[in-house]
Amino acid sequence: MAEAVVPPGRAGRRESALRTWWRVVRVSYWLGWQVESNWTDPLLFFIYSVARPLGGVLILVFMYFVVASGGRGPVLGFFVVGTALWPFVVRGMMGTAWGHIADREHFKTLRYIYSSPIPYRAYLVGRSLAQATSAVAPAVITLLFGRYVLGVGLHAATIDLPYTLVALVLGIAGIVALGLVVVSAAFLISGEAWRMPEGVGAALYLVCGAIFPVTTLPRLLHPVAEAFPLTWWLEAMRRGLLGPETVKSFAWADPGPVLLYQALVTLAWIALASLVFGVAEQRARQLGILDQESMY
Amino acid sequence: MRAILGRSYPRIIGANRDRSWLFYDTVLPLLGTIAFVFVYKTLGAPERFIGYVIMGGAATAFWMNVMWAMAAQFYWDKQGGNLELYMIVPCGIPAILLGMSFGGFVGTMIRAVAIVLIGSLLFGVRYAVTDVPVFLLVFGVAIVAIYGLGVTFASLFLLWGREAWHMAELFMEPVFLASGFYFPVRALGFWAAMGTSIIPLTLALDAMRQLMFAGSHPALLPVWWELGGLAALAVLFLVVARLSLRKMEFLARREGRLSLRF
Repeated sequence: MAEAVVPPGRAGRRESALRTWWRVVRVSYWLGWQVESNWTDPLLFFIYSVARPLGGVLILVFMYFVVASGGRGPVLGFFVVGTALWPFVVRGMMGTAWGHIADREHFKTLRYIYSSPIPYRAYLVGRSLAQATSAVAPAVITLLFGRYVLGVGLHAATIDLPYTLVALVLGIAGIVALGLVVVSAAFLISGEAWRMPEGVGAALYLVCGAIFPVTTLPRLLHPVAEAFPLTWWLEAMRRGLLGPETVKSFAWADPGPVLLYQALVTLAWIALASLVFGVAEQRARQLGILDQESMY
Repeated sequence: MRAILGRSYPRIIGANRDRSWLFYDTVLPLLGTIAFVFVYKTLGAPERFIGYVIMGGAATAFWMNVMWAMAAQFYWDKQGGNLELYMIVPCGIPAILLGMSFGGFVGTMIRAVAIVLIGSLLFGVRYAVTDVPVFLLVFGVAIVAIYGLGVTFASLFLLWGREAWHMAELFMEPVFLASGFYFPVRALGFWAAMGTSIIPLTLALDAMRQLMFAGSHPALLPVWWELGGLAALAVLFLVVARLSLRKMEFLARREGRLSLRF
């Protein structure tokens, strides 16, 4: 009884804030899932979800076959894992930014969401996680396609499940952080906001070792590639799923250090995203452009 | 004619008021193209494959224009409130669509040339077109066919709300695969490639590659056969576009979807 009348202390306030965050993440996750999936029936949504990544992997497979004349090699596994995982980036990172821009310009609900008593970052994290969830089915289907149709070496014996799961969780955290950075830019851009996330995605597709090893890039771009959590995530996932035979972007590093680098770079990006988001949000509010529409 | 020029005006002249498209429409497609060039470099492929990818990048610009700025355009116009205006103007929808096609083609042509020039300079690719008039003829007929397909899609998309956005996205990688944007389409197998030739870019890319990489390109069909196929597709899509536009406009009016935004 005594506890009920005591005003909440510092610890109580912190728990309350965490609970609010959790509630907002949960509800915005549900909302995000509805927005993404309820435009059609589940079957068409499933086809839509898997067609693009499967198309992507098959492009690479045919490119490989026309050069290798039908032979198979470890680079095929490299293509399959990279293409299977890229939808997490497309949906988790670019999708978060598009979600923000759609709320602002398409549904015109941003001003109501932003002015409601919820942390907007938590809302975006929930939307981002919902988007990332929609990438699970295409990823699984693409990996199964690689295993059973293309004969890629994804075997129970070579998969390091705990390692892969840790890399996946860190990867999602990195994607959410990158998504918040892209939203920060979208706060301050109006006219070309729709295209900006695609631009960031295209640049990351090129430098992060999504479909070819980072070693193929000009040496000048190697430090750029190493600065992004996605590069380490894709490398760690390939090590976890394909085992030691995989084509490597960082041949000098063992699997342990790769995971460690991934964790460190991800933490750095979470801190950076937090800082950049706060600054951009403040700036957009000062300029009065938080809900500015481009009238596309 | 005035309606066609009027609708193409914002796409040719108006677009130049904000030149950020120079970055977004040339550099961004180029980034994706460069990624595929590096895939061939990883595989140690001969130089002509890099030429294939750069041509595929240019074709991507046209395909994206057809899907996003033709097929899905009425969806954006619905959101912006322009579709209702198009429906009541006396020139009719076909003139509006022709204007969109003409304006879209001119803008996209600039982008495609930029992609080919920058990509070729970056990677030192050289082309030797064996028969320039036939090359230009293939390109011209292909453009008519692909924009005819765009008008056909536009009529289908007239009925859709949020689906339009997702369907346009759905027609990206699967079409890049089916039309052999980044590899010779013959690799799909003869009959599979014949099936995907319903997309005009399949025959167009194969014919143009034959003329650019004579002797080394594994052709699907002889160039003149492919040109004939493209001409047939152009006529087919123009007729289908005309018919489906009437039908879909009627359906959209009857079901009250012309101004349905979400």
